[in-house]
Amino acid sequence: MRTVARRWAGWWWLLPGLVLLGTFVYYPIIQNFQLSTYSWNAFTSTPTFVGMDNYREAWADPVFWRAVGNNTLFAIVSLIFQVAFALALAAILEEAVHQRLRGVLRTLYFIPAVISITVAGILFSFIYNPEFGLLNELLNAVGLDEWQRAWLGDRSTAMGSIIAMSQWQNFGYTSVLFIVAIQRIPREFYEAAKIDGAGPVRTFFTVTVPLVREMTTLLIILTFSGAFLVFNEVMVMTAGGPANSTHVLGTWLYFNAFMADDMGYASAIATVIFAITFVLAMIQLAYARRRRVEL
Amino acid sequence: MRTHRVATIVATLSLGTLAACGPPSAPDSGGGDADAGTDLTVPEEKSGTITMLTKFAAPEYAPYFESVVEAYEAENPDVDIDLQQVGDQPYKDKIRVLSASNELPDIYFSWAGDFANKFVRADLAADLSSEIGPDTEWGSTFTPAALEAFTLDGATYGVPINLDAKYLAYNTTAFEEAGIDTPPATFEELLDACTKLDDAGYTPISMGNQYGWPAIHYLTQLNAYNVPAETLATDYDPASGEFTDPGYVAALEQFDELAQTCFNDGANGLSHEVAQANLMSGQAAMQYIEIVEFPNLMGEDVDPSFTENWSFFRLPQAEGASGSADMLTGAPDGFMVNANSENAGLALDFLKFMTNEQNATKLTTDIGWLSSVEGATERADETFPQLEEGLADIGEAESFAIWLDTVVDADVAAAYLAGVQGLLDGSASPQDVISDVQDAAAKAQEQVQ
Repeated sequence: MRTVARRWAGWWWLLPGLVLLGTFVYYPIIQNFQLSTYSWNAFTSTPTFVGMDNYREAWADPVFWRAVGNNTLFAIVSLIFQVAFALALAAILEEAVHQRLRGVLRTLYFIPAVISITVAGILFSFIYNPEFGLLNELLNAVGLDEWQRAWLGDRSTAMGSIIAMSQWQNFGYTSVLFIVAIQRIPREFYEAAKIDGAGPVRTFFTVTVPLVREMTTLLIILTFSGAFLVFNEVMVMTAGGPANSTHVLGTWLYFNAFMADDMGYASAIATVIFAITFVLAMIQLAYARRRRVEL
Repeated sequence: MRTHRVATIVATLSLGTLAACGPPSAPDSGGGDADAGTDLTVPEEKSGTITMLTKFAAPEYAPYFESVVEAYEAENPDVDIDLQQVGDQPYKDKIRVLSASNELPDIYFSWAGDFANKFVRADLAADLSSEIGPDTEWGSTFTPAALEAFTLDGATYGVPINLDAKYLAYNTTAFEEAGIDTPPATFEELLDACTKLDDAGYTPISMGNQYGWPAIHYLTQLNAYNVPAETLATDYDPASGEFTDPGYVAALEQFDELAQTCFNDGANGLSHEVAQANLMSGQAAMQYIEIVEFPNLMGEDVDPSFTENWSFFRLPQAEGASGSADMLTGAPDGFMVNANSENAGLALDFLKFMTNEQNATKLTTDIGWLSSVEGATERADETFPQLEEGLADIGEAESFAIWLDTVVDADVAAAYLAGVQGLLDGSASPQDVISDVQDAAAKAQEQVQ
């Protein structure tokens, strides 16, 4: 009797957490999926069950696929800048730059990360402005005036311009995280590499890269799922325009829910976003567990 | 073993919640039965709290509504008005969330057209015909076209507060320099004037279409000019919209011509406000603006060389176009009363107070808007000639062509919004746009039925 009671005692402690998690995480996910099988909006008195129609609609919706494409592009570019380049920058700052300059540079790179996205978005809207924007003026000054354009108003450049702003904002932040990871690497490894005659590039690839793997994995997960959850940047700068060319899944969801009065379809998009980020996180977690390096 | 049990518990928990949630709950009809009508009688003892939501949080508008609320509360000390004001864009999602969760305020803002009709169809707007219908004492104080904009199937659902219409404002100095003596009377003359202005070194028409609606306003007028009024009414109704009349393509083609001949480059990358600055600084010769924006052009920081030298005219109709020549783009803004409100009578009493002679005049004095109440604007002290001329011109209009993006179903509006941006940057043809619009209209028909 006592052993049974003791065995169950632990569960009582878990219960509040499970209830909270169930109510605020699992229940909404399930309910959202359920809502996505109905056709309804804020004004309908009777939601009608439509089964998988909303998913079929997504499958046939060119803007949905453009949004998926834009999110993917966002993810790939973010990976290159915020993981690969950020790691390189961190290594350069730590190894090659003089101590005194290091602090100043670190601060400079980090500053964009503390600016609110809305402010940064508005700031870049000014930089990209076709009439008085800094970017066009700069191109003019260096004789590239045929490159001048309405950066956010042109379908071919709008998405790239938004992604570029986002890199500017987050690049320094991930670099600082890498710097912290690099500082945790014992100096002996670098000294040993030096004695073995390795140059800075070789040291970077054989010592730094493997030993910051845990941070790299974490940042890959964060930037990847972040790229699929992006909303503010697009909303502030283009709101999905021109001609729906810069919609990402988040803004397309918002647009369908609150502008086009199609909550069922919006719920379906939400389920797709959840599925994508969930699968990505699972793959990366499994991968990270296998390749963890103990220092 | 342990992990197994966690999994079981989580699984059971999710199954439990799965069973617990039924279909999405419908906004329940609350206390008032919509069929029986909302009780609109003003209580003898005026007391209680009424909630009100507007989209006028901008600093130039908000104080007017605050002061009217304060004045009403001073007259009726037992009434408390809970006034909430949010911005234009946030309003669109806030009001939807409130109506979905059945927490609609007693008085809420609405644009005219399908935006308002949606509330009516969902039984969320009280039928105010007995109080404000055209034959009633209160109703007769309004400009008829303003009341008509809030009418659906013969019943009036909204209280219009202002009048708005769209005009091409122009810089008279620029017109003189380009050798244009009289404002263009036809669409062809307008294109001609654009060429002359371009030659004289001006941007003919300043266009900032970052968010799509400025182009939609052109199309509102061009559709009305090119499509017969009855066809327009049939197509703008979500239940019967098809958009197959050739006039719709003609309207898009005319817009395309404007884009080629008159607009600045990169219009999709410019905001309407930046475009307006180009008009006021004398760089651009014209801009298509709302009459509620006229006070901006008279702002204190605007160069007197502009404020003293501007005028306006209606976007002209193309020769031989088959639509109505007398429809004017514009619509009143208004307020609706929650059909399920327990204080509907009190809410209506406040709206009567807000549109009485004194407060209607105050609207023009404080904000510079034209009032929907007849005679109110003329009584205001702070008007300027263009505003009064505008009022006279609105009086001559046969009826309002309500903003295309609020008059039609939201899906159709979205197809138009995306389409015109595509037209502007050359990635879509008028035919592409109209076929997207037709698809959206078919989808809307399905949803309404």
